[in-house]
Amino acid sequence: MMTSELLAILTVCLYALGAVCILAGTLARRKSVCAGGEMLALCGFIAHTVSLGLGLGQQYLGSFDRGYLLQVLSWCLLAVVFLIWWRLKLAILLLFAVPITLALYVFSLHMAGSIRQLPMSMARPFFLLHIGTLFSSLAFMSAGFGAGIVFLILENKIKNKQPLSGFQRDLPALATFDKVNKISVFLGFPLFTIGIVSGFIWAEIVWGRSFSGDPKEIVSLGILALYAVFFHQRMALGWQGKKTAAMAILIFVVSLFSLYANTILNTHHSFA
Amino acid sequence: MPPIMDRQIYTVGLNHKTASVEIRERFALSAPCFSEESAIPLSQDIAEVAVLSTCNRVEITAVGASANAPETLLNAWAAACRHTVEELKPYVYVLSGAEAVTHFFHVASSLDSMILGEPQILGQMKSAYRRAVSLKTSRVILNRLFHRAFTVAKRVRTETGIASSAVSISYAAVELARRIFGDMRAYTAMLIGAGDMAELAATHLLHAGIAQVLVANRTLEHARILAGRFNGEAFELTALSSRLHEADIVISSTGAPGLVITPEHIRNVMKKRKNRPMFFIDIAVPRDIDPAINKFDNVYLYDIDDLKEVVETNMGQRREEAHKAQSIIEEECGLFLEWLNSLALQPTIVSIVERGRQIARDEFLKTAKRLGNLDQNTYDAVQDMLEAVVKKMNHDPIVFLKQQYALEKDSGERCIDYAQRMFNLNKDRKKSRMHRRTGCFFTPPALTARNKESA
Repeated sequence: MMTSELLAILTVCLYALGAVCILAGTLARRKSVCAGGEMLALCGFIAHTVSLGLGLGQQYLGSFDRGYLLQVLSWCLLAVVFLIWWRLKLAILLLFAVPITLALYVFSLHMAGSIRQLPMSMARPFFLLHIGTLFSSLAFMSAGFGAGIVFLILENKIKNKQPLSGFQRDLPALATFDKVNKISVFLGFPLFTIGIVSGFIWAEIVWGRSFSGDPKEIVSLGILALYAVFFHQRMALGWQGKKTAAMAILIFVVSLFSLYANTILNTHHSFA
Repeated sequence: MPPIMDRQIYTVGLNHKTASVEIRERFALSAPCFSEESAIPLSQDIAEVAVLSTCNRVEITAVGASANAPETLLNAWAAACRHTVEELKPYVYVLSGAEAVTHFFHVASSLDSMILGEPQILGQMKSAYRRAVSLKTSRVILNRLFHRAFTVAKRVRTETGIASSAVSISYAAVELARRIFGDMRAYTAMLIGAGDMAELAATHLLHAGIAQVLVANRTLEHARILAGRFNGEAFELTALSSRLHEADIVISSTGAPGLVITPEHIRNVMKKRKNRPMFFIDIAVPRDIDPAINKFDNVYLYDIDDLKEVVETNMGQRREEAHKAQSIIEEECGLFLEWLNSLALQPTIVSIVERGRQIARDEFLKTAKRLGNLDQNTYDAVQDMLEAVVKKMNHDPIVFLKQQYALEKDSGERCIDYAQRMFNLNKDRKKSRMHRRTGCFFTPPALTARNKESA
């Protein structure tokens, strides 16, 4: 069996075990089980990183493997969640992030070898910058989305004086989820902006026009505008709490929709 | 005094459920009672004793050497408090055996406390144990019982959520503040008015690490006195509007007939604070804070009734968790009683081992005569070998004996009887006792001769 296949199996097993332990530990309110699950997921993430590193040598600038791209996206998602876990000691996001990463990873294995040739004109390092920054910003958006959902549920209960049930009692304070929101917009917006701007510059170089009226470009500009408003209100006006949680959720949902649109619309952003 | 296996654990006591506070005061056995001349001395009836005396309970846990133990304990207790037993008896419960052990574990785990899950009782039990140890009234059985009880209490606290939620109004307020702000070190609390409950809540906030306390009162002097206790800052109530934005947590308990904080205040304050969250705790009756402020984003308001409801819910959660704790206590009680019962088996096990050693020793003496003088190293090697053979030969029968003993529903006497007859132990008892005193496996004849010469 090849090293890459062994690594893939190891990654899937570790993610699956980690996800089960985190879920069981959260529901049973056993911190030690949760901590074990987090360590397993971290080991899975390391295996994932190694497999991406090995796979990088097989990628060519003139083409891309869609399975590999999906693996990069899932890696970005978990990297951001682990960054938050490390900085804020916030483990609850792993409860959602590990199963999503696992699902994306398994799906990516199914798609592996599905290679799409890029026109030679597009085979430039700009492609890496464009995709890399957008994937990272999407990961920050998803972290903001997860934190926003938990914030709204908790905030609603505290505001309306409802008792917290089960594992909700073990959740961190509202302020912690608000910090995740702040981190996600503070890092996510600049990355998203770089991703969009690099895309336009790339298009200008390749096609001689930065904007081609592609539906994906229009939606992306809309998201950028929304994100800019969110960034400004949060950073300059000091918005926090419920409004910013709702904004983070909205932006992620729209982004997810635009990503999905790539698969059904035949545009030059289509990966189908 | 009868052998250790015939002893029984007894608990005689009264608590908040059986006696009023006046009765508990009258029969309290406070520390001074337990000087060198202990109030409950060891006697023919009492082999071990420990006294737990708190504001909610007085309990004497003892290892009785006879069936008269409870009566002896009651007499000693009544005498120590200078009352008659008849005065004491109506309020007292007497437990023995498994019931006493289960009760002891319940008390240690705070399942029998007035406030379910309160942490003080474990500390009080540890003090009681230390006192019993210093008076040398706690020995093999009570030592084990106390240590098991501490383990049970720890398991109950970690494996159930019995102590995870606040059950006092002031502490519930602080817990809520923690749910909103998390780490308190960067936040400021403001007391409006100088009520006792507000002061208590502020004390809890300080313990939680709050950065600063501001005190607003109609009388500046009162505010200064209170602020002095928290190393805080005092100001007059008239300056409240201009300083309210500085506080993240506001505890209001004035005696004002009208509202002290209105939505108008909050509108201005939230602008100044750039919408940073604020938590208001209104424990005044009539209320100081308009309930309408709870509609503002990032503003949270709890009044006294809301806090009472939180406390009630938390009490309910603790009661649910107490059910889970029962299984832990049953399991631990079973283990302890198993150990206690196994004490009766110990003399038989010792006799089996001694008999094996004696046979080995006799056989070696016969062989040594044929071998002549042996050097020290050879003696040591043979001694080690015979010790190992005896241990290995006896291991499986002893394990089997313990298992059968645990399975027997009566006191296990039949099992002990079979073992003694099988190994012919009654005959060897005298000899084994004699050899046990030598302290080593056996004394080599050659060495004995040499020792005699040197003497």
